[in-house]
Amino acid sequence: MQIAIASGKGGVGKSSVAASLIYLLKDEYSLIAVDADADAPNLDLLFGVERWEEEKELIGAKVARINTSTCIRCGICAERCPYDCIKIVDGNYVVNELTCEGCGVCKLVCPVEGVITLEEVRSGIVRKTTTKYGFPLISAQLDVGRPNSGKLVTEEKEWAKRIMKEKGIEHMIVDSAAGIGCQVIASLGGADVAILVAEPTPASLSDVKRVYKVVQHFREPAYLIINKADLNPGFKGLYEFAEEEGIPIIGEIPYDRALPKSMVMLKPVVEVFPDSKASIVLKEIAEVVKEEILK
Amino acid sequence: MQIAVSGGKGGTGKSTVAINLAIALREYFDLALADLDVEAPNDHILLGVELQNEEPVHMFMPRFDYSKCIKCRKCAEVCEENAIITMRDGTPFLMPTLCSGCRACEIVCPVTGAILGGEKLMGHTYLTETPYGSPLVTGKLLEGEERAMPIVTAAKKRAKTLNKELLLVDTAAGTSNTVSKALEDSKLLIAVTEPTPLGLHDLTLILELAKLMGIEAWVVVNRADIGEKKRVEEIVQKYNAEIIGEIPYSEAIIQSYVKGEPIILTDKKEAKIFKGLAERVASYLG
Repeated sequence: MQIAIASGKGGVGKSSVAASLIYLLKDEYSLIAVDADADAPNLDLLFGVERWEEEKELIGAKVARINTSTCIRCGICAERCPYDCIKIVDGNYVVNELTCEGCGVCKLVCPVEGVITLEEVRSGIVRKTTTKYGFPLISAQLDVGRPNSGKLVTEEKEWAKRIMKEKGIEHMIVDSAAGIGCQVIASLGGADVAILVAEPTPASLSDVKRVYKVVQHFREPAYLIINKADLNPGFKGLYEFAEEEGIPIIGEIPYDRALPKSMVMLKPVVEVFPDSKASIVLKEIAEVVKEEILK
Repeated sequence: MQIAVSGGKGGTGKSTVAINLAIALREYFDLALADLDVEAPNDHILLGVELQNEEPVHMFMPRFDYSKCIKCRKCAEVCEENAIITMRDGTPFLMPTLCSGCRACEIVCPVTGAILGGEKLMGHTYLTETPYGSPLVTGKLLEGEERAMPIVTAAKKRAKTLNKELLLVDTAAGTSNTVSKALEDSKLLIAVTEPTPLGLHDLTLILELAKLMGIEAWVVVNRADIGEKKRVEEIVQKYNAEIIGEIPYSEAIIQSYVKGEPIILTDKKEAKIFKGLAERVASYLG
């Protein structure tokens, strides 16, 4: 089974919830964890990973380069670049490699052969390790300024599937990135179930509604966890949303300083503060996950 | 002139800093705020306003006129996204979700009219008047669409046409190329971070990006009372950046966030932090 944990919005506690659930399920189930937030991975930090057993560079991104010595400075490339990435710097047309999408239009429209080339560059790194808790973790890190194409996430999931096959692992738990873009779509695509994490704020509600539309697109059953549930007592938006869409709420985690503290200690909260208010609810959620989802 | 608020990880307080700073900077500049976190735009919610003046962002998508297509496969070969597949006889088909709208296929097609300009709706931009004197431009990616770049580009363009003295952009989390696009042309980057190991990891990346882009970087430490501030100082020093503000963990800020009432407009002590920040920014920009 493949479970994707998503939130739409960053900072609502998705990774803390994911780390705790993985921690609580690891002994009873064979699982592999995939950190699909290639832009800001942090499950490795939360599981105390110190070294990677295997790393793979992903060369996939392309960027255009202009040879300034043969360039005739006609400016057609800058005019036709769909993303406005070519600028004049000190009299020369220069591609901003940090915003280039690598589509190659500039090369096609350039009237002089060979002035513009498309160069393959590294888009990031995918890596694998076995955590000290015994389960394997796949993670990735996008290089600064590269397109977050979702290809890294797809690569991670492919790798995870190979390991599952080799080792007879049954479940994959994917901690997806914030947002609703390609990396999130790659995280949710192929999942059997989505667990959404939201906090009772208008911003989080707005974002979780957006990610839920992506979940619906894949026709995956969804569950909702409300984090910092007592943060904003009068706020009913999340409950209304869950009711309207028929999404079961499988837990309401109260605001608990044990959570940020555990993040600073780089451990799942259920490991370091097992008796905290948040941990008690997280354990209840893990039971529901076992009975409802992993049954 | 343009400045940016960014900061690696989601949930560190970028939008909170951006909206409060935007309001505080009214005293010094005629400005606009642009929310370029197009996957999860929230500045309007924090400002307590409804999005207005919706404009669609369309992207080019090839449509094939099969009566004219000579099945030469050039369109498929040139497509860097592999969005065009061909049948055994060379008939092209488009996989719309992969298409980036770059028009390379149209450029290489040897037959006039064989590729027609179709359009696909990618999202919207909004221009919202706020009760705070400065307009808000928002980019919003359509759910199910993968490509944020066209929306970031369109929203930024729309913000620039306002011709304000100062444009303050609020970026998405992370350091991918859509964040670079949002940061482009900024004179100053204000990176918001938390003093936690996760925050530090992401702060390093955003400062690295600022360095690569040649943008002066300042750091605001949010929830400064949890975690290790010393580590933030080390990273900041390494990148020749500067910590110019600290925001404690604050119930008042959470409440203002939840209610959509910017804290800067209250007489709470947190408001002073943002006022001080605005003063620093104004004197730096001159």
